[in-house]
This record gives sequence, structure tokens and C-alpha cells, in this order.
Amino acid sequence: MKSVYIHIPFCKTICSYCDFCKMFYNPKWVYDYLISLKNEITDRYMGEEMSTIYIGGGTPSCLSEKELEYLLKITQIFKKEKNCEFTVECNLNDITKEKLELLKTYGVNRLSIGIESFNEKKLILMGRNHTFESAKEKIALARSLGFTNINIDLIYGFYTETKKDLKEDIKKVLKLNPEHISTYSLILSEHTLLYVNKVKPIEDEVDREFYDEICHLLKKKKYQHYEVSNFAKKNYESRHNLNYWNNREYYGFGLGASGYIDLIRYTNTLNLTKYLNQEYDGKKELLTKEDQMDNEMMLGLRKTQGINLQEFKQKYQKELSECYPIAPLMKNKELKIKNGYLFINPDKLYVMNEILIKLI
Amino acid sequence: MIPQQNIRNFSIIAHIDHGKSTLADRILENTHAISKREMKEQILDSMDLERERGITIKLNAVSLKYTYEKKEYQLNLIDTPGHVDFSYEVSRSLAACEGAVLVVDASQGIEAQTLANLYLAMEQDLTIIPVINKIDLPNANIPKVKEELKRVLGFQEEEILLCSGKTGEGVKELIEKIITKINPPKIENEKPLRALIFDSYFDPYKGVVALIKVSEGNIKVGDSIRFMSNNADFIVTELGVHTPKEEKKEALRCGEVGYLCASIKEISNIHVGDTITHTKESATTPIHGYKQMKPMVYSGIFPIESNKYEALKEAFMKLKLNDAALFFEPETSEALGFGFRVGFLGLLHMDIIMSRLEREFNLEVIATSPSVVYEITLTNGEIIQIDSPTKMPPAVKIKEMKEPYIYTNIIVPKEYTGPIMELCQNKRGIYKSLEYIDETRVNIHYELPLSEIVYDFFDKLKSTTKGYASFDYEMIGYRESKLVKLDILLNGEVVDALSTIVHKDFAYARGRAITTKLKDLIPKQLFQIPIQACVGSKVIARENISALKKNVLAKCYGGDISRKRKLLEKQKEGKKKMKNIGSVEVPSDVFLAVLSE
Repeated sequence: MKSVYIHIPFCKTICSYCDFCKMFYNPKWVYDYLISLKNEITDRYMGEEMSTIYIGGGTPSCLSEKELEYLLKITQIFKKEKNCEFTVECNLNDITKEKLELLKTYGVNRLSIGIESFNEKKLILMGRNHTFESAKEKIALARSLGFTNINIDLIYGFYTETKKDLKEDIKKVLKLNPEHISTYSLILSEHTLLYVNKVKPIEDEVDREFYDEICHLLKKKKYQHYEVSNFAKKNYESRHNLNYWNNREYYGFGLGASGYIDLIRYTNTLNLTKYLNQEYDGKKELLTKEDQMDNEMMLGLRKTQGINLQEFKQKYQKELSECYPIAPLMKNKELKIKNGYLFINPDKLYVMNEILIKLI
Repeated sequence: MIPQQNIRNFSIIAHIDHGKSTLADRILENTHAISKREMKEQILDSMDLERERGITIKLNAVSLKYTYEKKEYQLNLIDTPGHVDFSYEVSRSLAACEGAVLVVDASQGIEAQTLANLYLAMEQDLTIIPVINKIDLPNANIPKVKEELKRVLGFQEEEILLCSGKTGEGVKELIEKIITKINPPKIENEKPLRALIFDSYFDPYKGVVALIKVSEGNIKVGDSIRFMSNNADFIVTELGVHTPKEEKKEALRCGEVGYLCASIKEISNIHVGDTITHTKESATTPIHGYKQMKPMVYSGIFPIESNKYEALKEAFMKLKLNDAALFFEPETSEALGFGFRVGFLGLLHMDIIMSRLEREFNLEVIATSPSVVYEITLTNGEIIQIDSPTKMPPAVKIKEMKEPYIYTNIIVPKEYTGPIMELCQNKRGIYKSLEYIDETRVNIHYELPLSEIVYDFFDKLKSTTKGYASFDYEMIGYRESKLVKLDILLNGEVVDALSTIVHKDFAYARGRAITTKLKDLIPKQLFQIPIQACVGSKVIARENISALKKNVLAKCYGGDISRKRKLLEKQKEGKKKMKNIGSVEVPSDVFLAVLSE
């Protein structure tokens, strides 16, 4: 199983918390960018069948219809598996009937909508602008056009936020009935407006309380908590993201995109001028067997199901228990084994770094 | 050859920062021992640490030549440290001298260690030359300092020299005064050899090098010698002096100061303060007047990584070469594993050893709360001494307990008299007297338990007087005290390394202070951790460290993986500085940090 990630760095507005590779949308750059992207894909793609494709950003949906069609045509270079999961990230305000039809035509079958919140105070702090009504309307539109797999992103943990605010947000998200929900505790990264404005983080205790509340409310509505921050209805887990967490290979195309091919983890240049000049290379790191195994642990234990011990042995020719001191952690119930999977005790998932650093 | 009666052995003594080392440098320059070009600032302070702290730790003996009234003189300058903890080193070098230059800062006047050092010199019957130094300073107050020297120390106006180590003014006069005023060493050429070891160091090529003063007889290369304390015999392979460059000699005559090598590989064969004699025709008694100092403060020192035990042992053995007062023996702690019980002269001494372990030997260590030596009379009449709380017998077996007391010199501007008295009272001090140094400064005398000084007295003294206090003390013996052992329990288990002995009346306050401190210093972990302070089985203070609620890479996708792993590795690196005590991870600096309030 192999995946492709394509990065579109353009945005109409810049969110105050975002530390991804992004820049203001400027039509004068877009075609040059897409041409260079096409060239990169032609150069590097080795022709194998892809299981998932994910176009993220930035805001891919901010492209004009023509630009979007050009982008989607590029994706036809890839040989797709029969049930290929094809996701495009969308901003609610960009969604139009025309764009959705275009996506549908080119095989996109999953939408990831960055809603983040409906709370006015939070939206202002985030530098975002939409309403619950518009969300209802746009999602209904997508459904009517045949999109049956929709993800909604949610951010929590602003210093102004109360538990009541959080519950209200969750309630509204649930009303939209998405197949998949990703929730993130706000990270105050350097080089973001929030960081520059010295916005305070919330206390870990409050953060944890919010997290537990989210898990509780979503489980009640039959969402499976399958990864630290991800919830899905049955059979709607993100196969693209699972590919990351299963430590498998993927291509990363586009400005600042990361990939993992032939034991090399790479990140493309973050410099647009260089990228347009087809100088794609940024950082590259060849992984040792130990690196690979450490990543397997760091990523695999994020899943509530955990790591398949049989697969681990096949992959590395060694039992996991020979490579990592899991016995004492099993003894004090930080780790568990069930049905051939090693996983973190669910009530320790939110402190899993403490467990990982005892292992790797 | 310079006649023996033209030898002058002298030291320079002073309070810290009164310019002793700079003055020594200037003397070296004036005697052409080193050229201006070679002149590194304060050449005698050879260790980095010494320069950084502005104090001299290790002794150095330099042999200088000077022509006065057409006669050539050999001046042996023996450098001394200037801090209270190192008065034993001062006494060592003073035992090798006939005179001492007492340096007082023209802007500061007499300070606590001026007095302490002077008393040590007077004990050795040395001729004292009082010098007011730093007279070039804009805030120098020569008349006032002169008055202090006359009034407090009883010097005559005409004895006092004025000097500037910085400009060199008065240095020539000082050198000549050393020649005219200080007696030559007693010349006893015919007597059997007696030479005093006043310092030693380890040279990777020569082995152990001893710095000696020949008091009687003389010594040559090839002589068979004996250390009188343990009757170990060696053949002298090399003799010489430092000028300050090394200069080999065939012999050292009576009265001279120099270094000696004798293929001594075992550091345990040499004891500073020991007397060297010849194997044949040996002296019958060792030199008197030498003061062997005992450690006053003991602490457990443990390697953070337990496989560094041997390296730590090696380091202590090497440090001991240059540091006769350092004492160590193996100790095992349930909490910290294998390490050493180490005896120090005081807290500064301890601090310096800790920094040297880290800097010169690259060892990361944990130190437990320093303890003084207690004297306990058991119910069966037996008297024992303990240097560690873990060695304290159960309360029912103790009939009486005694602790060491000190007598203080605390010199402060008089407006701080009130705060100082309050501080001393709070430390169980007994007021003795107060005297005026001049109209602005007083010398306050208290009797205080040494254990209270070890706790946080220095920090308090500094903060209450904005750094204006100078402090020195002498031991005055043992006194009975109501003392109890205060245990600290982490997650229900006694942490032996955190136990302390405290006065009964202070146990509650100390227990609360330590538990609060631990709560702040120990990071949250996966489970709740109770911290208790107990005397016997009685819990007197309690805190809780609540369980860690969040430590997760909240989102982690394709682009983040390398970066996220680096984050984890950084967290892991932080854990290496932690020690596992039972199931609790404790940062290594906690053990000392609980001391300061």
C-alpha cells in the first residue's frame, strides 16, 4: 500500500494558529506552481498503483475552477487502486456546486473540511469566518452530489474556551453527521500570529478534561476513537492517515511536502522560487533500521488498536519484545497486548510520550 | 649560591578579593621572575576555577631572586587561599614560612578573613607585615584603614606599608621590607633531615610531586627517604624549585622550599602535613606545629549514571592529591545506589569539588544534604560519632546527642546589626559580644550550631546585608542539643538520601519547607505521588504531586514525523538527568536544592 500527498500552499486568508507551509493566494503564481508540480510528479513517480491520494494545504479549494481542474488533471498521472481513497481539503467558504462537481468528476471521494469551531470568540481568535448555517448548507450540497465520506476538523483549547463552549461545538459538529472527525488541542507554534501575540496556552488539566469530554461525547454517538486525535464511523477511518501511522511509504509532492520512499524521509524545499525553478530538494534523511523501528513505535502506538506484532516481526525479522523493553510497562499496565496487537492503555493515550521515551 | 641566611620564606594572607594574587603577580614582575610579556594576569591562580571565583584554592610556591644592598636574596613566596573553608591550607603554607604579608583593601578595610588569617599566622609565630593595598582606587580611604590596623590589630603607624598591586606603587618597598623584617629560616644543617610536605600534586610524567620545606638537614637527588607517618621508603629522583618555571636542582638545603619527586605512584603513600626524613640517620620525631584539619561537613556523592562509580572513585583519588582535607569512603544508598560519603571543610569546598568533578572529570553527580558530625551517647554508655543521618540510631537508643558549635566573626556596616542578630537568633544562635571596628562597622560574635550554617546561612547572610557582610568562624566544640531525624517519604517509601538531622523545634518548619520544595521540583508523572515528612512514625507534613495529564504529540501526520521524533528525543534527553527512586523519577539537583528555602 502506497499513498500520495500533494501540497497546495495557497490560502485566501491566513489563520492565526497555522504553522504549515502557506502563502497568500496569488493567481500569478498558481499555474507556474502547478506546472512545476506536474514536472516533479513526472520525475519522481515510479508508476506503482496508489491506494490513497490526499491533496492538502494551504487551501486547495481556494484555486479557481480552471486551476483546480488543471490540478486534478495532474492527478490522473497516478495509477489508482480500485478503491483508491482520494481526499481534498476544503474551506467551507470556497465550496461551490461547480467545484464539488469537478472534484467528483476526477474521482475525489472524500472531503476534509476545516471547520475548527462554530464559536464566535474562537473563530475571531483563529482568524476564520463562517457560520453553522453555511456549514449545514454546504455539507448538504456535497451530500446531494454524492459525497459520502466527509471529515470535519475541530480545534479546542483556546484560553477563552469553557467546557460549555466545547460541548456546544461538538453538538453542532455531530448535527452535521460527518463520517470522520479530527480534533486537535491548539498548539501555539512559533511563527504564528497567536504566538507573536503571546496568547496563553490552557492548563494541561483543562486540556485533558476537554479531551476526555470529546472522547466521551463522540463515543456515545458511535464514533470509533481509532487514533489519538481521530474518530470515525465504522469503516470510515482515514486510510491515508493510517498509512502514515502504519509507517508505510508515501510520496510527498509540492512545496514543503514530506515523503517516505525507499527508507528515505524527505521534505521538499520551502522556498517557492526554488520550487518554481524545479529545485525540489530540501532535507533528506536515510533511516537506519533502528530509526524505522522507533518510528514504527511512535506512529503505531498512536492507534488505539496498536501495533500488529506479527507484522512487526515480518517487517524487521525480530520480535518487538526483543527490541523494546515492554515487559515492565506491561506490568504496570501502561501497555497491553490483545489479539496480537500491542497498544497503549487507553487512559494513558494522552500521556503517551512518557511511555514512548521509555521505549525508544 | 645564595647563603642560607639570605633565604626568606613568606606568605601573603588576605580577605577574599583584597588583591592578594595581583600583588603576588607584581612581586614576580619586580623580581624579574617573569617578563611583562609572559605576565598572564594572576599567574599563581593556575586553575580556571580559581580565576573564575577570584579565589586561590591550590597552593603554589615560587622561588624568586632579588638583589638588595648588593646581596642576593632567595625569596620563597608561598601562595595561600583566602576563604574560610580553606584555613587548613593557609595553616599548611604558614607552617613553611617565617613571615606573612597581611593585605588589606584600602577601600574595604579589615574583614572577617583578615582576622581569621592573621590569627592563624600569629599561632605560627610569624612576623607580620601589614600592607594597605589598592591605594590607587578612587574610593580608597587610607587613614581609616590605617586606624583600623592600629586600633583593632595593634600595629604601629610606621609598620604599615602602602601598595597598589595594580600600578606597582610600593611593591619595591614591600619586597625590601620582607628582606629586612622577616627572619631567615633557622639553619640546622647538621641535624637529621626533617622536611615538611605542605602540598602535593599529580604529574602524569613524574607521578606524585610533593612541595616541601626543608626545616632541618638537607636533601639530595638519590637520597633514600622515609615518610614518617607510614614508614614508606623512596629514592629521591628529582628536586627543584618553581621560578615559576620548573628549575631542577641537585639538592635542597635547610631552609629552602621546593618540589620533590620520588617515583611515588600510589597517592595513598603521601600525606600533606607529613614529615620526610632520611631512611638512615633518621629524625626521631616529626615536625610540630602542623595542624591536621578534619572535614566539617559530609555529603553523599553519587554518580547519576551508576556505571560511573569507578570513574568517580578515580576522580576523588586524583582530587585528593591536591586536597589533603578531602575525605571519601564508599557509601551505599537505597535510593541512589553506590557512591561515596565525602567529607569537606565547608560548603564552598564542597561546591568547588562538585564543579571540578563536572568540569575536569566530566562526571554528573548527585549530592545529598550536607551533614555535620554528631556525637551521640547511647543508652548503654557507648559514645559514637555519625556523619550521616542514615547512621543515626533509633531514638530509644539515644541518651544524649551533641552537635558542633562555632564562634563567629561577622563584620557588617552597623546598620545591619539588627537583621544579623535576628538571623542568628533564628538559627539558634547565642549572642556573645559586639565590637566596633570603626565608627561605621561592627564585628558581631555569636555561638551557632554548625549545622545551621550548613543549611542556608550564607544565602540569608548575603541577602539580609546586600552582600556587605563578611563572615568567618572557628570551631568551639560540641554541645548538647535536642535533635531528631527528619525522613522524607516519596510514594510511601523513605528516601534515605533526603533524610536530615534537625533540631526538634525546627522539624515542622523544615518538613513543610522540604515537602513544598519537592512538590515544585519533581515533575508530574503518570501517577499521583504523595510526599511526606516524618519524624519517627509521625507524619508532620504532606504534599501531593498530581498525576500528569497531558504529554502527547497532539497531531502527527506525514510531514511531521522526523520533527516529532526529535521532540521525543529531546524529552528523553531530559530524563537522563533523572534518578529513579522506587517508581518515582527525581531530577538529580533536587537533593541539594531542598536545602535552600
